[in-house]
Amino acid sequence: MTYCKRCVYPQITVNLNLDEDGICSSCRSFEKFEKLTPGYWVERKKRFEKIIKETSQKNTSNYDCIIPVSGGKDSYFQAHKIATEYGLKPLLVTYHGNNYLPEGDYDRDRMRHVFNADHLVFGPSVEVLKKLNRLCFRKMGDMNWHAHCGISTYAIQIAVKFNIPLIIWGEVIWDTAGMFDPEDFVEFSARLRHEHALRGYEWSDLINDPRDPLTEKDLLWAKYPSDEEIIKVGVRGLYIGNFFKWDPNAHTKLVKKLYGWKESKKPFERTYRRMSNLDDRYENGLHDYLKYLKFGYGRASDHASKDIRLGYMNRKTGVEMVKKYDHVIPSDLYYWLNYVGMKEKEFWKIANSFRDPRVWRKNKKGEWEKDNIWDEEK
Amino acid sequence: MKKKRLIPIVLLRNGWVVQSKGFHEYKNLGNPFMSVKRLSEWASDELIYLDITRDGEYDLRRDDLRDPNRHDILEIIEDVSKMACMPITFGGRIRTIQDIEKRLFRGADKISINTQALREPSFITNAAKEFGAQCIVVSIDAKLENGKYIVMAEGGKVPTKYEASEWAKIVENYGAGEILINSIDRDGKKSGFEIPLLCSVADAVHIPVIGCGGAGAWEHFGEVFDETRVDAVAAANIFQHVDQSVHLAKKYLYDHNYPVRPPEFFEVS
Repeated sequence: MTYCKRCVYPQITVNLNLDEDGICSSCRSFEKFEKLTPGYWVERKKRFEKIIKETSQKNTSNYDCIIPVSGGKDSYFQAHKIATEYGLKPLLVTYHGNNYLPEGDYDRDRMRHVFNADHLVFGPSVEVLKKLNRLCFRKMGDMNWHAHCGISTYAIQIAVKFNIPLIIWGEVIWDTAGMFDPEDFVEFSARLRHEHALRGYEWSDLINDPRDPLTEKDLLWAKYPSDEEIIKVGVRGLYIGNFFKWDPNAHTKLVKKLYGWKESKKPFERTYRRMSNLDDRYENGLHDYLKYLKFGYGRASDHASKDIRLGYMNRKTGVEMVKKYDHVIPSDLYYWLNYVGMKEKEFWKIANSFRDPRVWRKNKKGEWEKDNIWDEEK
Repeated sequence: MKKKRLIPIVLLRNGWVVQSKGFHEYKNLGNPFMSVKRLSEWASDELIYLDITRDGEYDLRRDDLRDPNRHDILEIIEDVSKMACMPITFGGRIRTIQDIEKRLFRGADKISINTQALREPSFITNAAKEFGAQCIVVSIDAKLENGKYIVMAEGGKVPTKYEASEWAKIVENYGAGEILINSIDRDGKKSGFEIPLLCSVADAVHIPVIGCGGAGAWEHFGEVFDETRVDAVAAANIFQHVDQSVHLAKKYLYDHNYPVRPPEFFEVS
């Protein structure tokens, strides 16, 4: 396995591209954002202000925009910009997948106390969620498809239903793989949602399974509006990270100080960061462990790569983080097995079937093994 | 009045649809056909699909997706043509008459040739005789050097002895049915098209010319129609940055009275 020379991403990282100099597309995109001088950021801010002015000016009787929020640090930052700094009236919209950690519950419910904003929290039936957890784990090795789908669908449904033309997203998430540059000003799209967030699966692929039967009516929240419906309202989804410099560590400090946002009390088992993914217990746990089983890297690789780029960590420390955390089997495995009623033996049988042969091989003793970044360092 | 065409380009590299910047920087965007499905739903007039893979390897490097991970270009063409409601010009890595035949058989409507035309111009004549001139597009990559638009070979890396307008005339004489002219300097720059290059080529030949390279706003397409005689404008990256992009671009041109087909949506299953 080859690795990016600058961060700790392996070549197999989802959607990543290593260039001729051995630097990954994610580092390259970051480099371009870093090169933006304060003057450029002023221009980008103006561009943002022009857009919100255009949409809010003629609007006196409706929400100015939707902010899809989980209640995490990024949600607070988005709401801080829109409601506090610009004095706009956002509708906060949350997809509740029944995976919240207690701190996440607190932060989410606190939003309408600290921001002048209404908050709509939507959650599918827990029975449906349990079925989706099991079914999607079997089908695609990920119990959290419902969350990727809910987050990237429900807010757009509400935009269309309530005639709200603007959705303010947070980080340009596709930059985890470096798909876009700052000058691309990429916007939310149905293709990125379908192909990457949902891995090509839609609600229609998930109905009528013999073991976990679901109907169309169970998945109404998962139906993405048509192009005609979207164009009629003129819905656009902007990433605020294209207009304001994105630094999660700095944002965390800011929202803790201004709004009493709380990070996780106890450390996660699979990463050193305490400020990410409080809305979903599996995102830093079992869901992420499955990414490791598939592709041989996990959340610690993601977080270390980001923190190396941001200058909070050098590559050597990054590699240590990968070595310490990426392989750890998280204890929420048992929480999940209990939640969905699955035997551990069945879990491992299915999980192991998703190991990517580009990464994993069996040694003579029949144990799974793979290349590791710390061996490359030697 | 004859309608002008707006043509999205999809670039395929090692099995991924990519963004290309300056012919050397690539960003993976997704699988080979999903972008095509969207471009089709937005009622694109045509599609140009170029395989810029260097080593012949096609792999999305994961097998947990709903749709198959194809490792063969002909299978990819078949998937792509199933998604397309519009005519497809397919290009890249074409060296023989059999290469053309195989691609047409799998669903391509036209073929674009670049390197092979430079290596052996009579290949254009042979291909046009075999499949008809309307099927053969010659793609030209040009770069401004010392005030001249020089035709570049080998994926934009090696200069040739030809100027763009001169080479355009030659390929027309050899029987090309259409020309795709691309500015390397403008590739991925979003700063607008290289108007003098497009003028020089469109004025030099009688066959249809498609201009490409540098689109960064819908207005840029209008500028090309205002200032050059090209029959069509093409672009790649810009159509990947916003949703319903082709629809919005067409709407802009249609609303500003350019001779384009009206914006629509198609259903593609």
